[in-house]
Amino acid sequence: MISKLDLPDIQGNIVKAYGRYGFPFARYVFYQIDDPTKGRKFVEKVTPLVTTSVPWSEDSPLKIPAVAVNIAFTYQGLKHLDIPDDTLHGFPDEFAMGMKARRDIIGDTGPNHFKRWDKIWNDPGDVFSQNVHILIGINAKEEGPLEAIYQQICGILDATGGVAQLTGHRGANGAEDLRYQSAIASDSDREHFGYADGISTSYFEGCRENPRYVVGGGKPTGLDPTTRAGWAPLAAGEFVFGHADESGAYPEAPGPPLFSRNGTYMVYRKLHQNVATFRAFIKAEGEKFGGVEAFAAKLSGRWRNGAPLTTFPTEESADRFVAELGALLDKSRQGQATAAENARLAELRLKLTAYDYNDDTDGAKCPFSAHTRRANPRSALQFGQNKPFDTPGALSNRRRILRRGLPYGESPENTTDDDEHGVIMMIVNADLSRQFEFVQEQWINYGNDFRLSNDQDALLGNNGFNENGRGKGRMLIEGDAAAQKPPYFCSGIPTMVQTRGGDYFFVPSMTCLRMIAMGIVDPT
Amino acid sequence: MSNIAGKAYAMNVITPLRWYTAWITKLTFWIAGKHPSTTLGLQTLSLIHYARWVVIRSDQFPCVSEKQPREELKYNYMLFFSNFNGSWDQYVDSFSSAIPTGLNLFWVLNIKYPRSVPMLPFHRYITSNQIWTDHYYNAYPMAASNDVKAAQRVRNGLLGFIDDTKNSSPDEFQQKYNKLLLTLQHDVSQMGPNPIVSLSAWAVEKRLRDERRVAGV
Amino acid sequence: MANQSGNAYALTLLCPIRHGMPKEFPEGMEGQTCAACVRYLLQDVMRVSEDSPMARVPNTYLSRFYILEDVPYQGKPATLEHLKSNYLVFSANLHGDLDTWLTGMWNAIQPEIRGLLQYCFGFEGVHDCASFITWIRKCQVETTFFFDGSTDEPLAVQLKNLYLKQEFSDFVFANQGNSPEVLQANFREFVARTQPENIDAPTWRSGAYSLDNVVTGLKAKGANSQ
Repeated sequence: MISKLDLPDIQGNIVKAYGRYGFPFARYVFYQIDDPTKGRKFVEKVTPLVTTSVPWSEDSPLKIPAVAVNIAFTYQGLKHLDIPDDTLHGFPDEFAMGMKARRDIIGDTGPNHFKRWDKIWNDPGDVFSQNVHILIGINAKEEGPLEAIYQQICGILDATGGVAQLTGHRGANGAEDLRYQSAIASDSDREHFGYADGISTSYFEGCRENPRYVVGGGKPTGLDPTTRAGWAPLAAGEFVFGHADESGAYPEAPGPPLFSRNGTYMVYRKLHQNVATFRAFIKAEGEKFGGVEAFAAKLSGRWRNGAPLTTFPTEESADRFVAELGALLDKSRQGQATAAENARLAELRLKLTAYDYNDDTDGAKCPFSAHTRRANPRSALQFGQNKPFDTPGALSNRRRILRRGLPYGESPENTTDDDEHGVIMMIVNADLSRQFEFVQEQWINYGNDFRLSNDQDALLGNNGFNENGRGKGRMLIEGDAAAQKPPYFCSGIPTMVQTRGGDYFFVPSMTCLRMIAMGIVDPT
Repeated sequence: MSNIAGKAYAMNVITPLRWYTAWITKLTFWIAGKHPSTTLGLQTLSLIHYARWVVIRSDQFPCVSEKQPREELKYNYMLFFSNFNGSWDQYVDSFSSAIPTGLNLFWVLNIKYPRSVPMLPFHRYITSNQIWTDHYYNAYPMAASNDVKAAQRVRNGLLGFIDDTKNSSPDEFQQKYNKLLLTLQHDVSQMGPNPIVSLSAWAVEKRLRDERRVAGV
Repeated sequence: MANQSGNAYALTLLCPIRHGMPKEFPEGMEGQTCAACVRYLLQDVMRVSEDSPMARVPNTYLSRFYILEDVPYQGKPATLEHLKSNYLVFSANLHGDLDTWLTGMWNAIQPEIRGLLQYCFGFEGVHDCASFITWIRKCQVETTFFFDGSTDEPLAVQLKNLYLKQEFSDFVFANQGNSPEVLQANFREFVARTQPENIDAPTWRSGAYSLDNVVTGLKAKGANSQ
């Protein structure tokens, strides 16, 4: 099942995590369309700036650009561009409804309810409406070029008219009405809770990313997961319309085929992080548990330095691993590594993602409830049985997502929960309800698939508070029978992550963008 | 009218079978029943409380009085009843992804069965032959099948533990308690209501509860 | 016996519904057919599952009713054929032997079950428990394959198990890190309160939907006793 993807037709943010390419700066700008004709004009003028998925290298004619631009539309956005009803009706309910209307399913209730979101997401005339139409994402290596492109787009906007740039983003120092959302990778590649992020992402056929990312990023084959042979790429159709998916069919998409082909959905979510609460919590629990870092690792499934818990069950082994990896990486980047050292580097890099849970069927190393085990169970849903399913990842392979996005804001030592910091999470998938919404509802905010009843993900779950203000979240940290270590039952887990905005976007192919601009989409 | 009662979904399907295939189907089921490995996939999925297949020969539709006309049918019919946890989509997709062969084995002789992979024709086959439940009762709406099984282990474990620690000193007690926890650690998560898998079902339920609250029931 | 898996029993009934319009019907159902009356009773009167009369029938794990109006047509070249009668299809997963269960049903919810089944052929002959059982067995179809993905204990045991699981869950989390002395003392109190050996009480109420009212049979020390 070799997919040949037409990469110049696919927008770049689908295939590339720009952060990996050394693009630490991002800006997300949102627009509302008043006049469809001018809206199409705006799209037409922005399209030449849009970055595609063409593979980058220093040798290719298209060198790595300084700035990457991408554009996406909500259902209302497409409607306001005069996309015909027949096409619009081909979108599934969840996309047409928009993310706010899906709140009961994805757990955007209580502290996550949209009434607490950044103002931009709530039209004062009708807070239930989907007022955001267009998202333009700008990613850059440096702030200067980013600002220049942003100004260029603002210029196009002014010249065209008929489209408004929406304001209402929260920012530092109590700002509530910013014109765009900024995000920036930290120097250490850590997000605000201190975890190294962006280590593993889904790898699919034809993406032409570095093949080593298939390890852990693809689907398990049943062979040794610590080697390349243990992994195969996922079907492209899980992430891009018009290509076969893991079930052996094309994902459902609105017509005409040319409209949706090479496009996909992207979920944009601004996730505020209660950093102060998190730090206090892991300190208090860590002392009881036997180590702050050890406790933080159990919540995530990775040590904060990135080492996977399943492979490196002790802090000492994790530190040693990361230290060696870091040193070799530096040497290699400076061009000073020997052949043997480069080989060792490759071997160590592999260990970051080359693991499965078959040696950890009791959760003694990585808890069943750990975030990474929940979000991507690999073969774990076989529960250690001998080939109960058609393939080892049968229950996981169609629940994979691509994660894009960056942290925003700052979290210095004395930060409070009211400070503006978190992560802009962007999730790419071809089926919102089967992939993102399913993971969010069944695997983050519930526990039955892991045989954990109603337990939620400690870090991301909508944990809630009881009358005394104590968090209601609970998490089992499994014991180790061999070491006669009893389990640790962690309760009072507070809400650590809160939704502050977002919506569901359609990321069109380049062909589709041009058709939208020309106003010629016609499913007849 | 609802297919949902708490964490359980009641799926009812009826499909025709050619008259001469009923006995093969029955044999297939009989073999499956004798070999636990056939149901390993089902057991590991762990989504089902109870499920059954009923093959009714064309002449076996109950006729209980002379006033009732006897059925005269060409096909035999297979009735399928399942009580499962999770959404319809998750259930059907799980079968299709995880145990497509087993699924095919049970349904392959049904008229115009499309095979369980690819999924869309299979979805359509199930939906067009699914009958909606008029009244569904679940004795424990807040318990998934996993919860019922876990609960059995918890009580049995506790009873043994209570016996075993009747005369324990506090330190001995704690040691044995820790051992107990190791065996029961995956069985003591808290239960609660089902997540909202369907907005329309939730809307109906909410409306009913609001009406009852207003009526003071 | 294909109807059984251990002590769990799969009862499948196809109760043929009389044709035409009944002489006696629920309010508002004049001019409606027998089948429509049956459906109305199921949908409207028994509407909210937690009030289901089935909650009063001992040893009922899960059960459902639906009306089978006709057999499904698969489209050409399949043959188009029809049922001559509608059937009230009843599927129950229960514990124990059938006659005992049916007796329990008759004793617990005779009015409701009469009200529903009066529209079926042959039910006019049912006047007591024995004739009820006879009629039911005439409507029974044999299960070909019964998959038990759960347990086959008596319902009361399952409910007690669930009650204990929930209570012990609270106990375990609340006692994390306690000293041996405190732990043991708390556990003794837990046992006294939850009475693990006593199946009947305290326990979970059958059919309960909310954590607010699921516990039943607590000794009247404070709130939550029923």
